[in-house]
Amino acid sequence: MVKFLSEEWIEYAKNYILEKLDPEKDMKSITTSILCIIENVPPNDETINLYIELKNGKLNDLQVSIGEISDGKEAVFVIRGNYGTYKDILEGKLGTAMALLKNRLKLKGSRMEILKIIKPIDGLIESLRKVTDEFEK
Amino acid sequence: MKTTKVLTFKKKVLENVIDIAEKGTHCGMCRIDFLGTGLCPSGKKHGFLAYWPQGRMELVKHLKDGRIKPTEKLIDIANSCNLCGICDKQCNFVTQLRPEKVASALKEYVNCLDKSEYETVPDDEIIKGLREIVGEEWATNDPIIIASYIRSIIPIDAELNFYIVLPENTEQVSKIIKFANKNNLPFLPRAGGTALSIATPTVLSKAINLDHGIIIDLIRLKKLEIHPENSSAVVGAGITSFELQKAAYKHKLRANVAEAGAHYCANIATTGIITTWGNKYGCFADNFIDLEIVDNEGTIKNHHDIDIPNPYTTDNTFSNISLSPSYIITKATAKLFPVFDDEEAVLVPFDNLKDALDMVLELGKRGIGLSVAVLSYKYLAEFICPTRKIANDFEDICKNYMKLRYVVDVICDKDDKKIVEEMAEYTIDQPFMKTLILGSPKLASLKDSEFMKILSEEENPLKAIFAGPMKKHFEKGLDASPEQMSKVYDKDLQDFFKKIYSKSEMTNVVWLHAFRILPSRLMRQQMTMGPGGAVWASDKKHILKWVDMFADVGNKYKLNHALGFISPFDNGKFVYIEYDYFYDHNNPDIANKISTTLLETTEKSLVLGQIFTLINYLFKGIHRKEHVLYPLPKALSKEEQIMFRDVLHSLLGEFEEW
Ligand SMILES: Cc1cc2nc3c(=O)[nH]c(=O)nc-3n(C[C@H](O)[C@H](O)[C@H](O)COP(=O)(O)OP(=O)(O)OC[C@H]3O[C@@H](n4cnc5c(N)ncnc54)[C@H](O)[C@@H]3O)c2cc1C
Repeated sequence: MVKFLSEEWIEYAKNYILEKLDPEKDMKSITTSILCIIENVPPNDETINLYIELKNGKLNDLQVSIGEISDGKEAVFVIRGNYGTYKDILEGKLGTAMALLKNRLKLKGSRMEILKIIKPIDGLIESLRKVTDEFEK
Repeated sequence: MKTTKVLTFKKKVLENVIDIAEKGTHCGMCRIDFLGTGLCPSGKKHGFLAYWPQGRMELVKHLKDGRIKPTEKLIDIANSCNLCGICDKQCNFVTQLRPEKVASALKEYVNCLDKSEYETVPDDEIIKGLREIVGEEWATNDPIIIASYIRSIIPIDAELNFYIVLPENTEQVSKIIKFANKNNLPFLPRAGGTALSIATPTVLSKAINLDHGIIIDLIRLKKLEIHPENSSAVVGAGITSFELQKAAYKHKLRANVAEAGAHYCANIATTGIITTWGNKYGCFADNFIDLEIVDNEGTIKNHHDIDIPNPYTTDNTFSNISLSPSYIITKATAKLFPVFDDEEAVLVPFDNLKDALDMVLELGKRGIGLSVAVLSYKYLAEFICPTRKIANDFEDICKNYMKLRYVVDVICDKDDKKIVEEMAEYTIDQPFMKTLILGSPKLASLKDSEFMKILSEEENPLKAIFAGPMKKHFEKGLDASPEQMSKVYDKDLQDFFKKIYSKSEMTNVVWLHAFRILPSRLMRQQMTMGPGGAVWASDKKHILKWVDMFADVGNKYKLNHALGFISPFDNGKFVYIEYDYFYDHNNPDIANKISTTLLETTEKSLVLGQIFTLINYLFKGIHRKEHVLYPLPKALSKEEQIMFRDVLHSLLGEFEEW
C-alpha cells in the first residue's frame, strides 16, 4: 500500500512519471512548475505542500514539505485546496479542470495558461493516481 | 398470500402517480404564493424539499424504483400533508399537473408499510457536528429527504452520500463552511433550484451540481426589509424574487427581478439578474448597494468593507469560467425603483426579426421604456396560454397564419408610449393583450379554420388584425372572459380559475412583467435550455448571424427551438440574447442532443467572437458589468479552439463531438 504524500509515494511517483510518461508525446514538452498546497490533511489538520517541476516535458523535481509556505513565489501555478479535493482527484472522482472551475481548487497564476496545458496535467494526475492506493482517514 | 397482495398494492399505489411525478421539473413555483392561495403548510413548516410538493414528487420516483428505502421520516413527510389542495391549484396554473395525487398516494403507501420495513438512519460525527451548528431539526442525513434534492442539486445517478443543512443566519453559514472544510467535505448552496434543475438532465449535471458532501439549503435565511426612504431592500438568501417584488410593490417600488421562484441573492450570484428591465435598472453589480457574503473559507465579508480586495473586478477572458460560486451571498441590499401611475404595456408585432431588432436597438439607445425586449411567438404562446396543447396551437396560428413571429414588448410611461406608437405602424395595447390572454383557448381552437385561412391570405395579416377592419371581429370572436378561460381546467378547479382570471393582475401586462409568474410555463412537463449571452448592439449583422447559428444547430438536431428574447442593456450598448431549446427531460437521448447543442453553440459563439456566452456569465453577477463585458472576448483562434475542446474533454470525459 502506498499512501498519498508518504516518502514511499514520492519515490514511486517520481519513478513512474520518469518511466512511463513520454516528455514529448504525453507531456507536450512543457516547462512549468506547480505547487499544490494541500490543506486540512488528517489526522492533524496539517498543510502539506507538493511541488512538481517539469522541464521540456520531463520531471525535474517532485518534493513534499509540511506547513504553510508563503505561497511559493517560485512556482508558475499555486493550487490550493483541501485534502478531500485532492483525494477526490486522485481517486478519479473529480477532474482537475472541474475542480478548478468549481472553485474546489484555488489557482494563483493564469487560468488561461493552466487550461492550455490541461491535457498533460491530466496525464500527470493519471500517473499519480496509478501509484496511490491509500489515503489518510 | 396476504403479503403478496399488500406488496402488489403498494407498488401499484406509486405506479399510479409516477406519470405525474416524472413530469415535474422543479420549477419551484409551489414554494411561492403567486395565486393568493397561501403556501403548502408542510413545506412552510419543515423547510426541507421533501415536505414541498416538488420534493414529494421527486422522492416518490426513487421510492418506486427502489433506489431508496422507507425510513421513519417518510411517515412524517406523508402525514405532514393535509391534502389542502393548494399545490394542485398552483401547479395546474403552471404545468397542469396534480401533485396532490402524488401526496395522497404517498399517504396510502405509508399506510401499507409494516413497521419492520422502515430502515433506521444512524447518526455519524458529521451529522452530529452539523446539528450542533443549526439545531437538531435542521440537519439531516436521511436518504428519504436527500432523494427529494435529486435533479435540483444532486445529479440523477449520484450515490446519496449527502448531508442537508438549513442554516438560519450568516454565522451558521460560516460555521458550516468551516466545518465542511475541516472535514474535507465539499459543499454547495441551494436556493430556488431553478438553475440547478435546468442543468441536471444535461452534460452540465456533474459540473453544476454537487456529487457528495453538504447541501446548504438557504430557505431559512428569510430576512426581508423594505426601506422606502432610500428605495432599497435588505434581502436574505432565502427570499424569492416574487416575495421581494410583492413587498416592494406595497411601497410603490419595484425590484429588478427575473424568474419568480428563483431566490434574489442566488440570481445576483448566478447571472447578475438578466431582465427585460435591465436597460433602465441595470445588471450585475448595478443591482445592489451592498452584499454580505461568506467565502469558501467561511469568512464573512461585506462589499462595503474598506480593506477587502476589489470585489467588483474580474478576469473577462473566455477561460474565466466558474461552475460553482466561490462565496455564498447571505444578504443583499438591493436597489428598488419607482412604480409610476401611468405605466402601460405596448407591444409592436413583427413578421421578421430584422425589423423587430431595429426597433429594439433604437429604443435601447434612446433609453425609451422601463422594460424592453423582442420576444418570439414561442414565448408569447408559452407565457399566455394556460395549457401546452393550447400553446402549441396558438404558436402555430401566430407563426403560420397571423405572421406574428416577434413582438417588441415595451413597458413604459405614457410619454414613451406615444413615442413607441409613433415609431410603429400599429401596436397591441393593454386591452388587446387582455383579450389575447383570456381568449387564447378560443384563438387556439381557430387553427385550420376558414377565418385563419382567409387571414393568412391577406397581404399583411398583422395589419389586418391589429389595425384593419378585422380587429373588431377578431376581438369579439375570441370570446375572452375568465369563464371561458376556466373551462380549460379540470372540472373541480374551474371555479377557482374563474376567480383567478377575474383578478386584474392576471391580465395586467405590467404586473405580469414585474412579477414574472408566467415564464415558469416554459418548464411545464418539459425542460428548456437557453444558451445565449451578451453581444454589442452596434453590429446588427453579427447579432442576426448569431441567432441564425442557434437556429441552424437546432435544425441540425431536429429540436424544438426558437429565439427566446433580445433585450438591450447599458443604454442600448449591448443586448442579451436567449435562444431556447425545449425537450423531454425524461428522455436521455434527447437530453444528449441538448448537451451537444449546448457545447456546440457555445464553441460556435466563441468562434464568432465579440460574444460573452452564458457559460461565461455564470457566477459573475457580483462584479461590475464594465469589468465583466469590456472588452468582449475576441474570436477564438484555431489554437484556442483546440484548447477549448481539451478543456471540455478534461471536464466531461468522452462526449459526442460535432
Ligand atoms: C423558466 C426560467 C426562466 C429563467 N429566466 C431567467 C432570466 O430571465 N434571467 C436570469 O437571470 N435568470 C433566469 N433563469 C435562471 C435562474 O432562475 C437564475 O439563474 C437564478 O439565479 C437561479 O436562482 P435559484 O434560486 O433557482 O438558484 P439555484 O438553482 O438554487 O442555484 C443556482 C446556483 O447558484 C448557487 N447559489 C444559490 N444561492 C446562492 C447564494 N445565495 N450565493 C451564491 N451562490 C448561490 C447554487 O449553488 C447554484 O450553483 C431562469 C430560469 C428558469 C427555470
